Amino acid sequence: MGLAGLPLATLFGIFAAAGALVVVFYILKLRRRAVPVPFSRIWDSVLRDKQATELFSKLRRVLSLLLQLALLALLVLALGDPKPKEDLREGRHLVLLLDASASMKAVDVKPTRLAQAKAEAEKLVRGLGASDRAIVVQMGSVPTPRSSMSGDQTELLQAIAQVTPSDTRADLEAGLAFGRDSLRGLPHGELVVIGDGAYGDAASLASLSERVNLEGAEPRFVPVGKTGKNLSISEFSVRRYPLDKSRYEVMLEIANLNDAPADVELELSGDGVVVDVTRLKLGPKETLPRYYQDLAGASRTLTARIKAAPGTDDLPADDVAYALLPERRRARILVVSAGNTYLEASLLLDEYLDVSQIQPGAALPDGKFDVAIFDGVAPALGDRIGAALYLNPPAEGSPVPVSTAIEDFGFDTWERKSPVLRFMSMGDIQVAKGHSFKVTPADKVLGASDHGPILVSGARDGHRFVALGFDPRDSDLVLRIAWPLFVLNTINAFIEEDTGYVSSYRTGDVWHIAVPGSLNTVNLLEPSGSKHAVPVSDGRAVFRGEQAGFYKLTGGADDAPLGEFAANLSDLEESRILPQKELVLAGKKAGAVAVAPVSLKSDVWIYLLLAVIGVSVIEWITYHRRVTV
Amino acid sequence: MGLLELFRPKSAPRRAEARRAELFDDDFQKKLESLAIVSRRVFGGRMRADRRSKKKGSGVEFADHRDYTAGDDFRSVDWSVYQRFGKLLVRLYEEEEDLSIYFIVDSSSSMAFGDAKKFDQARRLAAALAYVGLANLDRVTIVGATDAVSARMPATRGKGRIFKVFEFLSELQPGGTTDLGDAMKTFVAQHKRRGLAVLISDLYDPAGFERGINTLRFNKFEPFVLHVVDHKEARPELKGDVRLYDCETGEEREVTVTDSLLDDMARAFDDYKHSIERFCTSRQVPYFAADVGIPFDELVLRVFRRGGFLR
Repeated sequence: MGLAGLPLATLFGIFAAAGALVVVFYILKLRRRAVPVPFSRIWDSVLRDKQATELFSKLRRVLSLLLQLALLALLVLALGDPKPKEDLREGRHLVLLLDASASMKAVDVKPTRLAQAKAEAEKLVRGLGASDRAIVVQMGSVPTPRSSMSGDQTELLQAIAQVTPSDTRADLEAGLAFGRDSLRGLPHGELVVIGDGAYGDAASLASLSERVNLEGAEPRFVPVGKTGKNLSISEFSVRRYPLDKSRYEVMLEIANLNDAPADVELELSGDGVVVDVTRLKLGPKETLPRYYQDLAGASRTLTARIKAAPGTDDLPADDVAYALLPERRRARILVVSAGNTYLEASLLLDEYLDVSQIQPGAALPDGKFDVAIFDGVAPALGDRIGAALYLNPPAEGSPVPVSTAIEDFGFDTWERKSPVLRFMSMGDIQVAKGHSFKVTPADKVLGASDHGPILVSGARDGHRFVALGFDPRDSDLVLRIAWPLFVLNTINAFIEEDTGYVSSYRTGDVWHIAVPGSLNTVNLLEPSGSKHAVPVSDGRAVFRGEQAGFYKLTGGADDAPLGEFAANLSDLEESRILPQKELVLAGKKAGAVAVAPVSLKSDVWIYLLLAVIGVSVIEWITYHRRVTV
Repeated sequence: MGLLELFRPKSAPRRAEARRAELFDDDFQKKLESLAIVSRRVFGGRMRADRRSKKKGSGVEFADHRDYTAGDDFRSVDWSVYQRFGKLLVRLYEEEEDLSIYFIVDSSSSMAFGDAKKFDQARRLAAALAYVGLANLDRVTIVGATDAVSARMPATRGKGRIFKVFEFLSELQPGGTTDLGDAMKTFVAQHKRRGLAVLISDLYDPAGFERGINTLRFNKFEPFVLHVVDHKEARPELKGDVRLYDCETGEEREVTVTDSLLDDMARAFDDYKHSIERFCTSRQVPYFAADVGIPFDELVLRVFRRGGFLR
């Protein structure tokens, strides 16, 4: 037995000081109250008989003092926190990395792998030694600590209960790095991975094993899971045709990750209504893509679901996928031009454009316009115009300062990934005359000749713009297919309705969702029903989603709907849920977690306090029954 | 009565009247008037009264003969004896004379212990018995006793002097130690005329209660012990560690009072009381325990009558 609290010398000091105080109080207590009696001789006769028991009386009084000193000794000893010697060793520090990836939703063990993992974690926490400490970390797409490094079982058990499954891949490397950092400087560190071990193929695990430096922390592994049979929807996407946005096509991919062939029933629903059911036969380890082409209709949400024979699919999380068709709406376009047949013709290609044309200097028609196209003019933009395309803007009013006039030039460089120049080849366009621009650092050069930038995008006073440094009629651009693509791409880029629309996001990634308007934060309603604020950066809401399903964005003063999008697991690697019985980390096989050698019940101070209460009760009873007085 | 009456100093007769009113009410006095003190022995007296005396005189009850001497009244010669024996003898008769009653009131500090109930009880008893004595034309003397005779009311007779008794008793102040032996020696030296000596005391005498009673007995007084008892003193309301000190002598004792000790104390108190009673009974001294817990009128009218003290 040793002391984990105050040292012995300090305890003696405390006991001496407090003991002296008790004795002083005891002596003070013995100063008796003076009481008159009418005739002391009668008392003498009584006390004479009592003299025989006087020694016992003195002993009883001493017993009272001894009881008080015993109480004090017990309390002082409790301050010392006595423990068995076995408990006085330096405790372990455990990082419990609780796998909360999508594969932990597998039901090959009842009720789920995650539930079993939590049970294992609880077992570990209950088996911690008196000097052991642990931290609970949820290992998903990012490691999330659920507790502090603590020896408090209640806190740790509550933290384990807070771990929730996600529809993401587990980032083992990030989890190990977090654990390693948490253990830095702490003795006897152990990194305990509690999960199914399905963290990628052998090669990626070997690579991870080489990369990770655990800095002396001992890797431990608590395997969870039994079988790994699974069928999944590994891809699900929908898009509109670029030149016919009234129609769309759907692509999905189904994977049989089992070693045996499997029959699958694929069900496609639009807005909750089943629109197609197909029976498919997949061979062992086969990945089967499916396309639904040239679809038309009013469906907004699309849901794909597979159903397999019992015993062939242990993970229901990847049996369903979601997609959202881009919303089609009429965009109001204002054309300010003295007359440009090529421009008017290109705008006729999209039936969803509502075009208004006015002469330069004329008053604006009523209403707001999503996009204004200024042909050779550059008037001031009012609040009623969202974005603007400038064709050969004059020096006065141009959003980008116009530089020197240039002749016989072309696009020597251009931004191929820009949505404005999507599907276009600009290399052989010839331009007779035009101007280059003097761009500011905030502007983006989309195309440039050797003489300088000739196609620039940017924003002025909250209005996005694209400026072309020449009149397209002074080039052969208007004779090419690139011309209408340029005009429509630019409009689509402005109204966020281009053909690069993302029909669904992938869970676990950081999403950048376009947000209309100039909001700083928006509200995001998750598939689970929880709603929280999300920051907006550069016109896009930034969020890391971990649940598959349909999300809704709202914002503004009246929390109006701003948009909707879908998210899917879509991770074939995460769908490989075959549990691993062993895990090699940092070149070392992760061992089992040792059971604490000493019982948790080694907090002797608790029993000392109980003894104090017991002795107090005895003292109280003996005092009031006049045994010790 | 006006408001000023309340603040006006009371005159001496009014004060005496008030004290009298405190001690007895009129009904109580009327009851006492019908009572008389019974004396079992005959005492000599200076004046005629309702009791027989050893003096031979002009009473009606024959007492003895003596030889005729010159000058004796011929009417008292017993001619029948002369006829039979031829000797001149004079007939002697017992003369009825008055009785001397002495009330010895213990006025030591112990009598005023606590709320002074014992002292009040003693004074009331003395006043009541004195009233009875006065009403029967006895000679009543009251003295206060501690370790000496601390105060003395000269002998008086007649019901009309009762207010003097009340005044004396009202002005009697408790204080001092108890030594009944010395006090009685002083008493007997001051009072040559023997009589009934009613000792009203708690008998808390450190030197022993026997000395005082024996001094009276040995000097031909007829002692009558009225033992004033307060049973609260038998079981005081004490607990825990206390330092007891005697209210008269100041002697101290350190005691831890427990329930068992209080039981022992109650037993010792009863033993002390019984030892006094045994002493008196064995020496044919009348003994009465006057408990302060018993209402005064009940004590006088019932306990005394039952004990044969009053006729």
